[in-house]
Amino acid sequence: MTTTAPVVAFDQVSKAYGEVRAVDGLTLTLHPGETVALLGPNGAGKSTTLDLLLGLKAADNGSVGLFGATPREAIVGGRVGAMLQTGGLMDEVTVAELVRLACDLHPRPYRVSEVLARAGVAQIADRKVNKLSGGQAQRVRFALATAGDSDLIVLDEPTTGMDVTTRQAFWATMREQADQGRTVLFATHYLEEADAVADRVLVLHRGRLLADGTAAEIKAKAGARRVSFDLEGTIDETPLRELPFLTTIDVSGQTVRIQSSDADATVHALYGLGLYPRNLEVAGLGLEQAFVAITAAEEAKQS
Amino acid sequence: MNSLIKLELTRALRNRKFLFFSVIYPSVLFLLIAGTADATTEIDGTGLTLPTYMMVSMASFGALTAVLMGNSERIAKERESGWVRQLRLTTLPGRGYVLAKTAGAAVVSLPSIVVVFTVAALVKDVRLDAWQWVALTGVIWAGSLVFAALGVAIGYLASGDAVRPITMITYFGLSILGGLWMPTTTFPGWLQDIARWVPTHAYAALGQAIEQSQAPHVKDIAVLAVFFALFTGGAAWLYRKDTLKA
Repeated sequence: MTTTAPVVAFDQVSKAYGEVRAVDGLTLTLHPGETVALLGPNGAGKSTTLDLLLGLKAADNGSVGLFGATPREAIVGGRVGAMLQTGGLMDEVTVAELVRLACDLHPRPYRVSEVLARAGVAQIADRKVNKLSGGQAQRVRFALATAGDSDLIVLDEPTTGMDVTTRQAFWATMREQADQGRTVLFATHYLEEADAVADRVLVLHRGRLLADGTAAEIKAKAGARRVSFDLEGTIDETPLRELPFLTTIDVSGQTVRIQSSDADATVHALYGLGLYPRNLEVAGLGLEQAFVAITAAEEAKQS
Repeated sequence: MNSLIKLELTRALRNRKFLFFSVIYPSVLFLLIAGTADATTEIDGTGLTLPTYMMVSMASFGALTAVLMGNSERIAKERESGWVRQLRLTTLPGRGYVLAKTAGAAVVSLPSIVVVFTVAALVKDVRLDAWQWVALTGVIWAGSLVFAALGVAIGYLASGDAVRPITMITYFGLSILGGLWMPTTTFPGWLQDIARWVPTHAYAALGQAIEQSQAPHVKDIAVLAVFFALFTGGAAWLYRKDTLKA
């Protein structure tokens, strides 16, 4: 067996801005060929993680390695192509000129025409960069990230500003990149996007890694639903606490709010208690609440 | 790195508004100031006629405009937009960006110098020896690097809305105090004492020494050298600070 250095290796990496710990003791390893989603709500530390990974920021503690070297060495070696969320572009030049620059700077470049076509910007190749729409600019950024034969492609919320059709086309291109054996790492706050594209999902919350698994595993974890209803008279909490699949319960006045990992079974058992719940509502949790649910579950496990 | 330099040059030459401002404007100003002047009166203590004297001032002013105005604002803007960050994800070495910006400025400053000389020679009959024309062009062009470094430093120092006023104040301050718009001999004594240490004054003095067929004053070269070291050092320090912050 040959020992190859992992594509990305974070070891106990921390980064704080004043009091805020953007990344807090993060340890993770990415292997060649994986398509990995970095999932988390805004402010979870996704962008900071990617900045540390690309060497744009220096970690306060811990070590960051790319292909067994420093981020800068990996970039100079042409092993990384990246598309930043705040990746401004040089203005007053054309799309083709900018892509040519990216190709010239890459040690193993593709042909300019090829890069333009793959990113879907061949038709706007002669347009000035400062005259592009948000979605078009995003595709130009993608072209810059894929100007050469890199082993790792890093994308920070790449579909921001794209409409649905463009978004689908974009992910199709992305899958092609992954099928060629590249490692792809992208940050997103859409669970659906992670589910559709990634074969591994890292859930980041408040700078810490909450979960690391397949999209299906994460969905199961985050799949909790919220059940709420009113009861008349004095509410006896004891039987309610025994409801199956219940994770949290909150009673205030006549209203009961429950989180359940299987809402159907919970509601069925609720009627089984001989109760008559009124104003019954069952709703999915938003991603934000799902994170809170996962956090609560993790903390319960630890205590 | 060459490809970025090439692209910066293309962009600089494509920007008509900026080209007009830095290439044509100094010549227009030269004609306004020297136009009514008697071609035989000399400026006190220089032995040079007003058109000859102002030709160097305006060529220096044009070069200053080209290297200072363009870069400071553009660097500040590109830092903010994230283009500088994007470039850090390429093989381009850190100094490459600054070098390309400086080259882009230099390609505009050269025509602005040459146009002032041409206008002065054709319209105001300024006559110099061949070696003087060549030396003047070389010295003014090379000297503009001092202010290119200042432009880079301002670009890394200021951000957003602050960069334009800071650039303008620096630009007009250097132009007026350095005597580029009117000879410093017309200033009151105390102001002349200050003006002597302003880098643009030393910059124009180099050109005027050539016109007088003299060797440049050691003091002027020293002043420029000190400011060059100061601006380059400041730019490098601010650049590194910005890189760590990113």
